[in-house]
Formats: sequence, structure tokens, C-alpha cells
Amino acid sequence: MQNPTQPVQNSMKPGKWLNSSCKMCIHSCNTRIHITDDGIVNKVEGNPTSPSNNGRLCPKGNAAILRHYDPARFRTPMRRTNPEKGPGVDPKWEAIGWDEALDIVGRELKRTMDEDRRKLLPAINNFQKLFLWAWPAAFGNANYFSSVGNFCGGGYHPMNGFVHSAFAAANDVNYCNYWINNGGGDGFSSHLHTAAQANHVAKARVERNMRVVVVEPRLSIGAAKANEWVPIRPATDRQFALGLCHVLVSEKLYDAKFLVKDTNAPYLVGPDGYFVRNADGKIYVWDAADGCAKLWDDLDIKELALEGSFEVEGKTCQPAFQKFKDILAECTPEQMEAVTTVPAATTRRIAREFAKAAQIGSFIEIEGRLLPLRPAAYNYYRGAQGHKYSAMANQAFKLVNFLVGAIDTPGGHVGATLDDQMQEIRGGVGQIVAGDNGMMKTAPHQLHPEVPFSYPPNETHLMGYFPIGVDPGHLTQHTLANAEKFGLDYTPDTMLLCHSNPLWNISGSREKWYEMMRAMRFIVAIDILPNESNEWADIILPAHDLMESWNMTMIEPPHHEGMCLRQPATPPLYDTKSEEEIFYEISERLGILETWNTILNFVNGFHQKPELLLEPNRKYTDRDIAERKGLLWNGKGLDWYVEHGHAVTPRRPEKWYRPWDGMRLHFYIEDIVRARDELRAKMEAADVPIRHEWEWGDYQPLPTAVLDPVHLEPAGFDLYAITFKDIQINFGESIGNPWINDIVFKDPVHTAVLLNAATAKAKGLGDGDIVRIESPYGSIVGRVALSEGVHPDAVCVSNALSRVATQNTGVRHGGGNFNELLPANLKHTDACSGQPETVAKVKLTKLAAMPPGIAAGNSVFGQRRTH
Amino acid sequence: MAKWGMVFDLRRCIGCNACAVACKQENSLPNGVFFTKTLSEEVGEYPHATRTYIPTICNHCEDAPCERVCPTGATWTRADGIVMVDRDKCIGCGSCIVACPYDQRTRLEPEMLQQGLFGNGRLTPFEEQGLTRFTVGTVVKCTFCHERVDAGQEPACVATCPTEARIFGDLDDAQSRVRQLIQEHRARQPLADKNTNPRVFYID
Repeated sequence: MQNPTQPVQNSMKPGKWLNSSCKMCIHSCNTRIHITDDGIVNKVEGNPTSPSNNGRLCPKGNAAILRHYDPARFRTPMRRTNPEKGPGVDPKWEAIGWDEALDIVGRELKRTMDEDRRKLLPAINNFQKLFLWAWPAAFGNANYFSSVGNFCGGGYHPMNGFVHSAFAAANDVNYCNYWINNGGGDGFSSHLHTAAQANHVAKARVERNMRVVVVEPRLSIGAAKANEWVPIRPATDRQFALGLCHVLVSEKLYDAKFLVKDTNAPYLVGPDGYFVRNADGKIYVWDAADGCAKLWDDLDIKELALEGSFEVEGKTCQPAFQKFKDILAECTPEQMEAVTTVPAATTRRIAREFAKAAQIGSFIEIEGRLLPLRPAAYNYYRGAQGHKYSAMANQAFKLVNFLVGAIDTPGGHVGATLDDQMQEIRGGVGQIVAGDNGMMKTAPHQLHPEVPFSYPPNETHLMGYFPIGVDPGHLTQHTLANAEKFGLDYTPDTMLLCHSNPLWNISGSREKWYEMMRAMRFIVAIDILPNESNEWADIILPAHDLMESWNMTMIEPPHHEGMCLRQPATPPLYDTKSEEEIFYEISERLGILETWNTILNFVNGFHQKPELLLEPNRKYTDRDIAERKGLLWNGKGLDWYVEHGHAVTPRRPEKWYRPWDGMRLHFYIEDIVRARDELRAKMEAADVPIRHEWEWGDYQPLPTAVLDPVHLEPAGFDLYAITFKDIQINFGESIGNPWINDIVFKDPVHTAVLLNAATAKAKGLGDGDIVRIESPYGSIVGRVALSEGVHPDAVCVSNALSRVATQNTGVRHGGGNFNELLPANLKHTDACSGQPETVAKVKLTKLAAMPPGIAAGNSVFGQRRTH
Repeated sequence: MAKWGMVFDLRRCIGCNACAVACKQENSLPNGVFFTKTLSEEVGEYPHATRTYIPTICNHCEDAPCERVCPTGATWTRADGIVMVDRDKCIGCGSCIVACPYDQRTRLEPEMLQQGLFGNGRLTPFEEQGLTRFTVGTVVKCTFCHERVDAGQEPACVATCPTEARIFGDLDDAQSRVRQLIQEHRARQPLADKNTNPRVFYID
């Protein structure tokens, strides 16, 4: 018998619990951390006091300790001694002191600053410290080298800004009874506080019998748990949604009262795509009862027309709803079936079930407020919206919800703010502002203010040409390769990486990215662990990890709000600094301390409480910033947060449901047309040559069923490659953690390329065969596994297979990076939103054996034992 | 005295294996060793295919074959029904591994304790403080987190399960949630034909 006074279970050993928050993905589930009397972190659990994650954690959250104790962590500032740079090339790091490292960084960045501030390519990606993303603004630069945003929602975030004035959106699990999930893992395996959402959605499914319909090319976790899996050909989700809209409209299953009263659907649209206005700029509507046009705010309107064609102010015009109806005439379920492969009968049935479940006309009283109850909602995310015509795709999904009145209402599809405190920098996130002609002001900029137009372009990713989009980081490859065409009058030669791995997350040819990296005069990386990108650095500045630092954040918790504390569980294990300290040190050396503090005050919203303002010429710690963010949220100091861990509460109904009450929502997005024309005028005035190739057709005020160009690749490329993540590898930074590896690499879903069994048979391929997967843009290698849970046209590549050789020996690499298959060019980028295509047309070629370089060593396909 | 048991609600389980990782951190398990894990299997033919997720754990059988075959009495059952292994008595003969119909027992091999979680032959401080509970050559398995249970807490896997697919409680208490779920859902025991009378039940 063991001595009963010596517990063997980690959480029962003598020690203390500290409240904190998770950082194993971008979100911030509330945790408590157990530290032994010897100072060892030996257990992380969900904080039971959190109404969001309810004491629960996903597998990644459970694996945080091994990030902390990862032997590959950067332990001290380091200088490269090997002048040769390349993927997998040992930088031959030499440890140096902080002063020397910071002085080198300061000197090199100062040189860049003096030569041309635009020559810095920053990639700053810590989502829990979003304020750091603004540092390049202090440097004097709006470049952005990464694809954060593009690979979650280049079109998603702006569309949420257009429709909800919010960063994200979620189906309201509190009341939803019919949940369509299209190309997203929300509620099952990814996105929006996964452990929290999985908890709430499972309760709704099991305790309230919420029906779940999952539309996806691959049988995901959500599809496996759904009442119905609807397999769909990749990159045709928009057409499926339009098929649903067709049925809802043609069978009059829509919420006409909502459309008339709460949206701009009755506003009259002229032939130029703009609303028809009088001389004072007031928009006309049509009164069907009186048979004449009236101004939208005319008190004598008897019956607003949604349909018809009229003549007003000498223009032929139709209500926005009629415009959509005209588009839908060509979107019958039968027509859409030819694209999506979803049987027309299935589309019709789902549309009818959805409309019935929406209970159009019903109300619910919440906290004394009578609200429309619409317990049916269409949710979607990366897989569905990550296509060339992303803005149109996003709007098509939103319109399914619009038609049944399920926008921002109990049970419906509701906007979720990112961090309510960062009001101004995000174009008013969480702020509902009245706009033009009774409509809510749109807020498509959810990550930073609009970057001014310039020619020659100041940004290598052309952000000045995306007035309503998210940074298309991948375009840097395209512009550098075609510098003359784009009029690029400088070449970036300096890179600052912070908590970012663009060489992993960005689409396009690795070789071309490598060429760009080789051409960099100086690269500094602020990070914790080696990865594909920071192995190119000249200087490593090692940062504290999630167990060693302070933070205060709130990142898209859909059903909850409030600041989440992170506090150090242990003193730093190594000679590291917080990211805040590092940026202050660099800023001081560059002489931009005052600017940086001004920006920090702005992006954190400290100016809202002057006593919180950072002084211009002081340097602050991570603790100082966290304390101010906590004070700004609820007036509580760090002691309060240390005791409670978080200020998380359910979203206030007045902000969660119809915060725009009294304003009209944008069923028809005229701002997209306006953005197009304003950009075109600027390009004309500046004589920008690329305007002739610019994808002007991407800007549509209503979505159409036009095919994404990925479908038009040469005929030999007969399959569609998609990539996916499950909950174990949700967001990045997972592979390499032994516990995550231990569950991921036992799962055939993550160790092979999934192919529909019948498709494989027709191609003469069998389980275990090695194939080259080749797109028009690049190729990777994989091992085939046959599956009945895959659309016949799809080749599914787990994100766990996407790593390539790195200095981190814990990371098992696969057969190449999936993003290699994707084009990084304008043709496959949504000019409206910046979203790149994320599906590739491919062909498979059987290989005799795994190429030796992949089979050897630390590969998923190697012979390495799992223990 | 309570009789502890567990119910797995297969409707809720999403196969995420948060349970498995929580168990690993709670119990300092080496790579490749699991006291609980969730199996997944694709069933049906396209397009009517789905995937099932089946959590598995030591069933703490009332009539435990592992205990019956143990030659040294190392495997024993507490009064509350938790089946334990006394590492001081275990000789690592492996009889219990063969006898367990559920494949829930693992003999600790030297490299499991020496190789380290990061596979570099070195132990992290986390492992150094945790691995002392193990003896090479002995057999280990889930103990329903007996120390947590004795302190009035739920097992680590239950506490962390994002979807609350694991419900832990007293099988002798007619009012307990586990008993209610078992009765309401005609719960099934794993491999009931083995007559081991598991204290773990599945509902769907």
C-alpha cells in the first residue's frame, strides 16, 4: 500500500491553485492552475466559476503544461551564426544577452526606419494581445505578412461588420432548435471558445433536442453528431445557400414583416446598383397601397412593397428584395444541385424544415423586452466562406437567416463582438451607430482602421486597395513577383515576427516565400518555440509563455462577455521577457515610445477613462497593461481579478439581441458598390495600371450563383483538395505537444489523406497507397486512407499533416504544406474582402513509395514509435 | 458506503479526447499509456455514413477478472467498488492484462518511464514530480481518480469533459444522476456477456 499521506494524483498534491485563462488557442477559456509546493505546474483545469466554459477544457487546454515545459523553448536571446538560411537549415544559434540582442534589433530596425519605413514586413499574431498588432503603426507602416483573417474569415469578419456591426457571429444556443452548420466546427470542434460552445451545444442537442444539420464535404465531428450530414462538393456552399433562399422565397416562407420593418429590403435600387435618392439624399420606397413612391421615413406609408418594378425619379428601380428574387430565379434547387451535388429534394426539405422551425411570427419576452423568437439559424465558417467570392458567400449564408428573420434575435444568428473595449480602433466593434437613411452604420473594419489608398502602393499586400476587407497577407508573394506591374517602388528587407508562423499559415509556393525570406537583410522573431518561420531569424527574442505572463482579454466568447485574467503561475523558467516589455524596449531604441503609448491608449480604449492613460515616455509591463484593461472593464483592480479569475457573465440581452432596434439592417449592401466605385475612382485618378486587371466583379451588393474560379481549372485536375482541423488541433500550435501528438497520431483521420472509397476504387487506389497531390500551383505527398465519410470529389488533408521540417524536433512533419497547393494571386483572391481561395483542384498520382526525405526521420509517415 | 460508477452519454461525446489528456496530466502518464481514451469508428456507407465515438475506461467490474487472476493480491477492490492495483504487490506477471476483456491495463516498460514525454531521454519538472508514483514492471490502470473522489471531487476526465458526456456518481443511491440515467435510458454495460458486471454504463 502506498503511504496515504503522499498523494499520487497531481491535483491532490500539496500546493496552491491560481486563477488564470487558457491560451492554447486564440480564445480564453477560464482556468485554474495547480502549482506544487515545489513550484511545479502540475495540473490545469477549467475554472468551475466560469459560466462560459463551466469548468471544462478541450484537449488542447488540457495540454498547456507541456507547452510550458517544452524543452525546445527559446531560453535566452540568440543570434544566428550560420549565414545560410533555409527550411530545416540549422541557424547555429549563439546565446547573447538581452541588452546586446535588443541593441542589434534596435540598430537594424532603425536603419530600416531611416531608409524607408515601408521596408518592414511585420507578422504580429498574438490574438490575446491584439494591441500588439498595432505596433507597426508606431513604426510607421501598415504592411502585414501573415494570413490571420484570410484563413478564418477574410470575408467573414467584414460581413459580420456589415450585418451585425460585430467581429464574429454565432447561432444563439440559448433558444435555437434547428442548427445548420456549414463548413464550420462551431459547437463541436473549433472556433469561439470551443470547450464552452461544445458544452452549450451538447446541452441543446441532448436536453432540448435541437436538430443539427451539417453541410460539409467531409464527415467532421459536427457531422458525425448531427441529425443529418449533407455532403457537398467543395467550394459550392454559396450555391447551396442560394438554393435554400430560392425555396424560402418561392414558397413564401420568409418573414416579410421583418424584412419590411427591420431591413433595407424595401429600399428601391436603381440600375446603377445604388438606392434611388431624392435631391436631399433620402431613399425612396414604394407604397403598394397608394401605388406611388415615398421617402423611406414618410409617416404615411401604408404598405411597403418588397416586390415589383417601378419608375422613380426617371429611373427604373426595384425593391432590394425584388433584386434578390430576380437572382434567385436562376438558383432553383435543381440548378444548384448540378453545382453542389446536394439533391434538390434535400435542399427543398431542409428549407421547409428550417422555415417551420423558425416559428416566424412568434415572440419571447426576455427581461421585460418582447423579442421575435426565431429558433432556427444558419451558421458557417472557414470551409464555407474561404473562397474567391467570399463576400458573396458570406452574404448568401446571412441571407438565409435574414429571410426567416433570424438575425440578432433569440434562437437566431447573432453577432458576437471581439473585445468591446477596443471601440474605435475596430471601427466601432460592439458599438451600434446610426447610419444613413435609417440604416445601421456598417462596420466592415473589424481589425484595424482603414488603410489609406496609395499609389505606388505603400503595402506589399495592397491593403490600401481593400477598403472593406481583411489583410490579404498572401498577396505579398504576388506583388513582389510582379513589382513593376503593381508599381511597387520598394522591396521589403526587414521582418518582425511575433507569435506568428506565416510560412506555415500562408498560401502560395513555399519556394517563392523562401526566396523572399532569403532576401531579407534582417529578421527578428519574438516567440516561445521554434517554428517554420522563426528558423529564418537573425535574432530570437524569447517571450514568456502563458504560465509566466499577465494578460487581460476577451476574445469572441459568443454567449458570454467579460475580461479573462492571465497571471503568472511560476516565475519565468528561462531568461525571457513579456511581449509588452520587448516592444517597449524596441520602441525606446527606435525613439517611438511616445507614439507607441499613444497608440496603446487608443487601441485599448484607455482614453475612455483618463486615469488609465499610459504616460507618453514611460515603459510599462504586461501587468500594468492587464491591470488597466481590467479596470476599464468593471473598475476592479488586479487583486479582484486574481481572486475571481475573470469577469465573465452571460452576454447582456440588450447588447446580444437586436442592439440596433429601431435601425434597419443591410439586406442589400450598397456600401460594397460604393467601395468599388470609390476605389475605382482613386485608381483612375492615380492611373494605377493594375486597375485593368482588378477583379471588379467581386463587389456585389447581393450574392449570385457565379462559379468560383477554382471550378474552372484545367480538366485534368479532377478532384478538390480541402484541409481541415478537429478539436485536438483547433487553431495552431498543437503538433509537437506530446499529449496532443499522442491523441492525434492515433487517429486515421489525421495520419492519412482521406479519399472517398468509391472514388479511390475507380482510380485504382487503395488504403495505404502513396500519392502525389498536385494542383496547378504546387504539390504535396500523402498516404491514402479510404473513407465513406468523404464527398466523392474531395481529397481531405488534415492540418496535422501540414507541418514541414523545423528546428522543433517535437513537431512531426507531413508530406508538405497544404497551402502549397493554393494560388497566392489576385485571380483567386476576393477583391472585395481579401479572402484567398482555400480549395485546390488537384490530381492524384500513385507513387511507388514515400519519397525518402519524407519517410525518414521525424515524419508522420515514418517508423517512429509513438512511445 | 457509495459504490462509484460512471455513465457515458454517447449522444454527447464528440471524441475530442480531452478526457484522455486530462487523465494524462492528472496521473502523469507516459506517452502511449492511456487510462481512458475515446475510440472512433466510421460506420455506414456514403452518403449515409457517420462516425461513432466510444469512450473507454477501466470498468471497475463488480466481478473483476483481473482481480480473480492476480496471483499476489495486488489487484483489489475498495469497499466503494474502485478496483485498485498495489504496486508494491504487483509482480508484473501480466495475467490481469490477459484477463481484462476491455484492454484497460498496461505494464510499465522501462523506456516508458525513461524516454520522457518529449522523447529525448530527459524528464521535465512535471514528469519528475509525477513519475515517482510508478514502478517499472508493474501494471497500471484507471483508479477513477480515487484520491480526487476521496476528497469529494469528480475524476479528472469527468471534470473536464466539454460536453458532459461522462457522469460519475453513486450507483447505490437511487437519487443519483447516474442511477437515473441508467434507468431512464436502458443503459448498457460493455461486453455484458462477459459477466463481469461493469460499473460503467453507456446510454445513447
